Amino acid sequence: MDLIAGLIQTSILAGGVLALAALGEVLAERVGVVNLGVEGLMAVGAITGIATVVAVPSPLLGFFLALLVGLLAGMVFAVATVYVRANQVLCGLALTLMGTGLAATIGKAYSGMPAPATFAPIPIPLLSDIPLLGRALFTQNILVYLIYIILPLALHYLMFRTRHGLDMRAVGENPAAADAAGIPVQQIRFWYVSAGAALAAGAGAYLTLAFVPSWSEGVVAGRGWIAVALVIFAGYRPINAVLAALLFGLITSLGFVGQARNWPIAAPVLSMLPYLGTIALIIVPVLAWQKVRRMMAAPAALGEPYFRDVR
Amino acid sequence: MPFRIQRVPSAQPAVALAARAVAIILALVVAGLVLAASGANPIRLAGQVVGSTVGSTYGLEDVGLLVTPLILTGLAVSVALRIGAWNIGAEGQFYAGAFAATGVALFVPGPTIVMLPLMFIAGALGGLIWILIPTLARAYADVSELITTLLLNFVATLLVYWVATGPWLDPSGRALATTAKLPHEVPEFWGIVHWGFPVAILLTVVVAAALNYTRWGYEVRIAGSNPSAAKYAGMPFRRHLIMVMLLSGAIAGIAGMLEVAGTVHRLQGGISNNFGYLGIMVAVLARGSALGVLAGAALMGVILNSGIILQTQGVNVSTVLAITGLILLFTAIGDEAAHYRITRAEPANG
Repeated sequence: MDLIAGLIQTSILAGGVLALAALGEVLAERVGVVNLGVEGLMAVGAITGIATVVAVPSPLLGFFLALLVGLLAGMVFAVATVYVRANQVLCGLALTLMGTGLAATIGKAYSGMPAPATFAPIPIPLLSDIPLLGRALFTQNILVYLIYIILPLALHYLMFRTRHGLDMRAVGENPAAADAAGIPVQQIRFWYVSAGAALAAGAGAYLTLAFVPSWSEGVVAGRGWIAVALVIFAGYRPINAVLAALLFGLITSLGFVGQARNWPIAAPVLSMLPYLGTIALIIVPVLAWQKVRRMMAAPAALGEPYFRDVR
Repeated sequence: MPFRIQRVPSAQPAVALAARAVAIILALVVAGLVLAASGANPIRLAGQVVGSTVGSTYGLEDVGLLVTPLILTGLAVSVALRIGAWNIGAEGQFYAGAFAATGVALFVPGPTIVMLPLMFIAGALGGLIWILIPTLARAYADVSELITTLLLNFVATLLVYWVATGPWLDPSGRALATTAKLPHEVPEFWGIVHWGFPVAILLTVVVAAALNYTRWGYEVRIAGSNPSAAKYAGMPFRRHLIMVMLLSGAIAGIAGMLEVAGTVHRLQGGISNNFGYLGIMVAVLARGSALGVLAGAALMGVILNSGIILQTQGVNVSTVLAITGLILLFTAIGDEAAHYRITRAEPANG
C-alpha cells in the first residue's frame, strides 16, 4: 500500500510540470496560436528559478520572476506571430532553440548545484492524516494546489462560463466573424499567448524549484513537447489537460519505481516510457473512436494568422 | 493618405532574398551585441571565425564535414514540407539510421566493398522505420506528424545512448560510452571530407529532379500547396503523403549512416550534434528549392563551425544554438515582411 501512496505522490509532483505548461498552451491554442516554444520557455523559466534562489533564497520569488521572464519572451513571440503574422511553427521552433541555448549558456555556472531553497511539501493538518491517500494527496508543495485545483477551475470558468471566454474561443474558431462582431482579435491573441508563455516558464521554475530540484543542461528533457501533445490529447480543455498531465506523471513515476526496485529493464529504456506513452495516447483514441475526433477537434483557425484585409 | 502598405499573396523573389539577407545580418548583429555585452570582443571573434572557417583549407574541410549531414537532414525536412508535412523528427531518424548502420557493421561479417552499401541501405531503412508510425498516424488518423516525429527523437536518443553504454559497449574496455570502432569506413574524398559529401549532393540533385521534372513530383507539389484540389483532381493524396514522408525519413537515416561511418566511426550518445534540428533551419532557408538546400546547408555549416571556433575562445556551444534560433526568428519575420509593399494609393472610385 505504501508503494501505491508513494506512486500517487510522485505522480502528482511529476505531473505538475506538464500540467502547468499544458495549461499555458491551452490558452495560446484556444485563441488560435500554436506556440511550439514551450520547451525553450521552460528552459528559461527553469534557469531563472535557480538563478533567483541562489541569489535570494525565496522559491516564491523565483517562481514569480520566471513567470515574468516567460511573459516578456511570450510578448516577443506574440508580436512576431500575432502582429507581424510570421509563420507560427518557425517562430515557435526559434523560441525553443533560443530558450534552450540561452538557458544552457547561463546555466553553465549553476550546473549540478542543488537548489538552495525549494518549495517544500507542506502537510495539511487533519487531511494529510487520512489513511492511505492522505499523505499522497495532502502533503504536497503549495504550487501543486494552484496547478491542479485553482488554475484549471478558474480557466475552465473563464473559458466556458463567461462572455469574455466566448470571445476568446470565437477568436480561435473564426477570427473574421469575431472581428466583425467587434472583438479585438489581435489584442486577445497577444495577451493570451503571452500569458500562456508565462505559465510555460513557470512550469520550468516548478521543475527546478519543486520537482528535480537542481539545474542541469537538458533538465527539461522534452517535457515542453509532451505538454504540447497533451493539449491535443486533452481536446484543448484545461481540466482535461491537468488530468492528462497527471496520467503522464504516473507513467514517469512508474519509471522511477522501476529504477528504484531494480526491474530488469535498463534505465534509458524506462526513460522512453513518457514519450512512447504520449505517442500512443494521441494516436490510439482517434483510431478507436471516430467520434472523439470531432469532439476534441482543434480550434478551427489554429495556426492561421489573421489578416483583416485578406479574406 | 498618398501611400499605403499593401500585402501581396506571394513575395517577389528579389524582395524575399533581400529580406532574408537583412534578417540574417540583423540576427548576427544582435548576437554580436549580446556577446559584446558579455565581455567578448565580437569584431576580433568574427575575424577569427572567418579565418578558421572559409579563410583556410583546413577550415573549409571542417565546414565540408559539417555540411554533409546538414545537406541530408535539410533535404529530408524540405522534401516532407513539399507535401505540407513537418518532419521535426530528422534528429531521431538520424539516430535510427546511425544505429541500424552500426548494427550491420558490427555484427555482419563481410568485405568493406559489400558492407558499405549494406550499411547505406540499413541506414535508410532505419530512418524509414523511425518515421513509419508518425506517417501512418498522419495518413490514416490525421494525427499531427509534427508532435509524433518530434517525440520519437527523444526515444531514438535514449536508444542510442543505451546501446552505446550497454549492450554494444566497446568490449576492449578502452572507450567509455561508445561502441567499438566500426570495421568499415567511408573513404576520404578531399582532405578529411569523406565521400558522403558528393553522395549528399548527388542525392539532393536526384530528389530535386524527381520533384521538378516527373509526374510524381508534380502531383506531390500540387498536393502540398492545395490538398483538396489534389484530391479533387483524382491524385492519390494519401499514397503520395506516405511515400514522401518515408522518403524523408530514409534520407535523414542516410545522414546518420554517413556520419557514423564517415566522420565519427563509433556510435555514441549525442552523435547527431543537433543535425536533425538544424536541418529544419536548412529547409526553411531553402524555401523548397534543392539548390537552396545546398546553400542553406553551407550557411549552417559555417555557423556551426564558427560555434566550434568560438568554443575555443570561451564562448559556450549552447550560445550557437541560441544564435541559430535568433536567425530563424528573424528569417520568419523577414519572410512575412517580404509580402508587403508600399504603393501609391489609388483615388477611390465612386
